[in-house]
Amino acid sequence: MAIANESRQEAHNMEEHHGAGRYWLIWGVLLVLTLVTVITGRMHLPSFGLVLALVIATVKGTLVTLYFMHLIDHRGANRLVFSVSILFVLLMLAVPLLDLGTRFRGSNPPGSQYSDLQPPDIGANVKEGRFGGGVRSHGSHEQSEGH
Amino acid sequence: MQSSASTADGTVAPVPRLAMHFASLEVQNHAARLGMWLFLATEILLFAGLFICYGCYRFLFPEAWAASSRSLDLTMGTVNTIVLITSSLTAALAVHYAKEGKNRMVAIQIFLTLLMAVGFLVIKYFEYSHKFHIGTLPGRYYFYEGIQLPGAPMYFTVYFCATALHGLHVIIGMVVLTFSMVRALRRADFGPNNYTMVELGSMYWHLVDLVWIFLFPMLYLV
Repeated sequence: MAIANESRQEAHNMEEHHGAGRYWLIWGVLLVLTLVTVITGRMHLPSFGLVLALVIATVKGTLVTLYFMHLIDHRGANRLVFSVSILFVLLMLAVPLLDLGTRFRGSNPPGSQYSDLQPPDIGANVKEGRFGGGVRSHGSHEQSEGH
Repeated sequence: MQSSASTADGTVAPVPRLAMHFASLEVQNHAARLGMWLFLATEILLFAGLFICYGCYRFLFPEAWAASSRSLDLTMGTVNTIVLITSSLTAALAVHYAKEGKNRMVAIQIFLTLLMAVGFLVIKYFEYSHKFHIGTLPGRYYFYEGIQLPGAPMYFTVYFCATALHGLHVIIGMVVLTFSMVRALRRADFGPNNYTMVELGSMYWHLVDLVWIFLFPMLYLV
């Protein structure tokens, strides 16, 4: 019975007429937030720049899911599915970061912030990338890389 | 309960069909939405893999990440964000008009969405060709001399993987929405009881927008 009630509630909410004005309003807010994130992003705020950008993106994403994707009209299962997927994303982000931050320094990639080793090169084939570099420095660099 | 539409040969076909294993149309619509949300959850987790790559390598190579993200064209990125958000608006309006049964408006809104999707891809093409030209390419193909920091090629690996996967989703979303547009033009049977097709297609399109909302600040701004 619970399922039937939930679908009736959802059908009722979806039926309810909001008018197109709500979508235009959300669109305006999204554009303003985009402007804000571009302006604050260009200031290159030292420490909390990333946090601020992610908070703005989260607010924008919430508006899109709630109003454009109608999650605000949906009940129960739909919300559960969406929030659980977000929870898994956060878990998947947290665990590898904890690992990278706390593991034995020697096992991090050389040249990175958490390693004492110097990188042998930057990891790219500057002189002759297989396509790009090779094409551009045609004939001028004839050295071979011993990979 | 069910709306009906007359077909070309004059017979009246009930629209939408209620599958016999559903108790009512409401339950059927609920099941369709729930299925779509489950699918979108898998899509979120698919992109999450790339977001986590981004997070881990940014954690390891902060200087290379900052320098590389500043080498991207912020103007093009911002224009693309605005284009995609606006296309999301028209996709939402298409659902709105489908509920009201204004099939012509549904087709127009979806057409505008598709137009902006093409615009997005064209801008993306110019960005990509610029990168191929200056050499900010993934991994061993990297030959840009402006940024010679450890980790910079990894930034562009993440950049190309994320934007290419997102671009693929733009194309898939365009195909899905095209089907709705053709149906709105040919059969014109969207109405208060039959708009699931537009709604689910539009939800997919909003997911594409949602992913870009996160990709844009991560790649271009910070």
